[in-house]
Amino acid sequence: MDSLYLLIPIALLFCAIGIKLLLWAIDNGQYDDLDKEAWKILADDEPALPSTEQDGSPPDQQRREQP
Amino acid sequence: MPSSSDSTAGPQLCYHCGEQVPVGADLGVVIAGEIRPMCCPGCRAVAQLISANGLENFYQQRTAYNLRPQEREVAALEQYLVYDDPALAASFTDIDSAGNMTARLLLGGISCAACTWLIEQTMARLPGVSRALVNLQQSRLDIQFDPARIPLSQVFARLDALGYQVRPFQASAQRRQMGEEYRLELRRLAVAGLGMMQVGMFAVALHAGDIQGIENQYQGLLRWVSLLVASFVVLFSARPFFTTAWRHLRQGALVMDLPVALAIGLAWLASAWATASGGGQVYFDSVVMFTFFLLLGRFLERRVRQRHALTWFDAQSALPDAVSARRGGQWATVPRVQLQSGDIVLVRAGETVPVDGRVCDGCSAVREDTFNGEPLPRRVRPDDTVYAGTVNVEAALELEVLGSYLDSRLAALQRSVEQAQTAKPRLARLADRIASWFVGAILLVTTATALVWSHLAPDQALWISLSVLVISCPCALALATPAALTSAASALRSTGVIVRGENALESLARTTHLIFDKTGTLTEGSLAITDVRLLAELPRERVLALAAAMQQYSGHPVARAFSAIDAAASLDQVQYTVGAGLEARAGDHTYRLGSESFCRGQALALPPPPAEPLYWVALVRDELPLAWIGLADRTRDEAAAVVGAATAAGLQVELLTGDGSGQGPLLARRLGIETVSSGLEPQQKMAHVRALQATGAVVAMVGDGLNDAPVLGLADASFAVANATDLARTQADFVLLDGDLNSVIRTWRKARQCRRVILQNFAWALAYNACGIPLAALGFIPPWAAAIGMSLSSLLVVVNSLRLNGGPNTA
Repeated sequence: MDSLYLLIPIALLFCAIGIKLLLWAIDNGQYDDLDKEAWKILADDEPALPSTEQDGSPPDQQRREQP
Repeated sequence: MPSSSDSTAGPQLCYHCGEQVPVGADLGVVIAGEIRPMCCPGCRAVAQLISANGLENFYQQRTAYNLRPQEREVAALEQYLVYDDPALAASFTDIDSAGNMTARLLLGGISCAACTWLIEQTMARLPGVSRALVNLQQSRLDIQFDPARIPLSQVFARLDALGYQVRPFQASAQRRQMGEEYRLELRRLAVAGLGMMQVGMFAVALHAGDIQGIENQYQGLLRWVSLLVASFVVLFSARPFFTTAWRHLRQGALVMDLPVALAIGLAWLASAWATASGGGQVYFDSVVMFTFFLLLGRFLERRVRQRHALTWFDAQSALPDAVSARRGGQWATVPRVQLQSGDIVLVRAGETVPVDGRVCDGCSAVREDTFNGEPLPRRVRPDDTVYAGTVNVEAALELEVLGSYLDSRLAALQRSVEQAQTAKPRLARLADRIASWFVGAILLVTTATALVWSHLAPDQALWISLSVLVISCPCALALATPAALTSAASALRSTGVIVRGENALESLARTTHLIFDKTGTLTEGSLAITDVRLLAELPRERVLALAAAMQQYSGHPVARAFSAIDAAASLDQVQYTVGAGLEARAGDHTYRLGSESFCRGQALALPPPPAEPLYWVALVRDELPLAWIGLADRTRDEAAAVVGAATAAGLQVELLTGDGSGQGPLLARRLGIETVSSGLEPQQKMAHVRALQATGAVVAMVGDGLNDAPVLGLADASFAVANATDLARTQADFVLLDGDLNSVIRTWRKARQCRRVILQNFAWALAYNACGIPLAALGFIPPWAAAIGMSLSSLLVVVNSLRLNGGPNTA
């Protein structure tokens, strides 16, 4: 049972590291937007695209569509 | 999901924004293989753009309708060209060493997480854009791009084309503080959570040791490490409870945080003392668990209110950024902020007046719904004053600038909004009222216990009185309110009502007076044809078709009422006379449509308009009067039912309107509202509500316009209906997304139900204490039982609150 004197401090150390990491992640802004990230993993990153040129397609078309 | 139920019964709803599609509008867009109805060209343009980009998935994923894009006559891109000026862009953009620009933009109209995906996907695919990141909580877009390949104005225009309002993101102090507070809360929660797990593990060992025996040295070790972790949690995570309790105590107010702080502080002190002295009992697990539960409850409650951060657009953002001003004899486009008194600016028809100014050339009419909520414009001629934020509807005006934004009437309105916020009465929360006598009762019981036990067994008196304090820990009591509010707010969210105001549900449940604004709230806020009086042999359809054909050439708000009618055959030589009407030729005839005097100028036989208080326009052909066409602001279909339901529920219903004409009392009589005040300025509306509040009434206000914003801020509970202006939305406690007035009553019922659940929670929490405290006072409750009791009673409170999440009609 004397191993407790070693194991408990080690556990505390891990806990401290965990807290430190979590606080870093919060300060880093990784938790600033809980909704979006939760939703994001369900969404396709690359939606089905007809072709890649289309996004660069004529700016005049874009302008026509403006309300 | 709103998109699934569109095609079912009832009127057709716009697939994009969820509003009713006007009769006769044919604006379908093919999305994912199906034709979807659209209500206006704005929605259609946005939907086409989304569809053309292959992002139709958005419509399946979103959880709320989009906002209807604003109508505007000016090309969007032109408006944003001013941002290509580096000096103007400097305040919200950075340029890195590689020449890439990072812009921080504030977006309006983001309604759900799917919007962020749509924006990010669309923007990231523009050539030259390297990164686009939307923060939903702040409604903010950080976009990095190469200004040589895509100018900033294009970025603005593109976002605008997607149907979102876009402004430079200015880091205001309030906004920055909110962000920092959020992170701090999250840090506290993280520390409390991890600490709870650690202390919990040690506590299991300690409780097992209590039951089956444990060597003193190991008990000591476990207690000391628990003390270490718990102290960290108490000092860091539980700090806000202590500061809030102390701050209110100094002002002589007892709030819920006081018993919380007492319980945490005393239990921690007692446990620390027991650890140091080697005797007694430790309650570290209860202390830490209590802290975590409470922080979690409050965090979730705040989050559900702030999640759909409706952007903080102030009144100023309704004004155009770019203005045509005379510079050395020529018209030049200059940023609005650079205008000075005495400058001459040009405001074309359809544009928003950018500054307070004196008309020096031109005759037109301005729509002043900003200040009075009315759709009908006021006629202006040279030397009249026009105000920033109003819309010039008929013809171009040249204005002499009278002063900066800060001197304008619009800024004064904004300031009165801020004043209203501070003047808003704070109704005492249920929890705080209970807290005051709860603290007293606990202290009394503890003292009595200490006194009795010091006679019976002096060596145990301290520990038993401490265990009374710990068992009385108001965990369930303190969770009762946030749990119920969170649950009710998320239930309301799923029915299209966003809860924003702190305590708004509690205030709403106590409402005695329900006050409606007229235009845009009880009515639709736009004119519609309600009556046609024929004066000649011409059939009604023919008359309306002729009128519609002529109105196509007009920018007056009246013209919009005719847009759904099939216009008659082509007209020639249509002439528009400002402030009078239209004249056109068709075949051998000359037609006139407009005011009485204008039409009588051609047809002397025109009879005076009918007596009903409608907005009458005449139509004449040569000398022959054809018809009087009466227009009025249509009452919402559900208005009468809502007023009836509110009256039946015992609420005093009133009507406050800025409209000085006879329409207010007329509408009130039709809907069964007894108290009406019409022709009120925003300040007078505020005075009216304040007078009511002074008599002890709890006032709920329903409004939509900028002119309602101050009174919405002042009312105890307030609603902004769909399409309300941003300022009105930011002031309202509840935002009705679907524009259905029935939501007002539904929300009120939910609030009443929520209040009942809170009371049940209190009853349970107090009953738990009432049973636990005597047992503790008799010395029967060991620490493990205290921990279990606390968790179970809190769990029960949470489960009871979750009942509010059930269907909207369970009330």
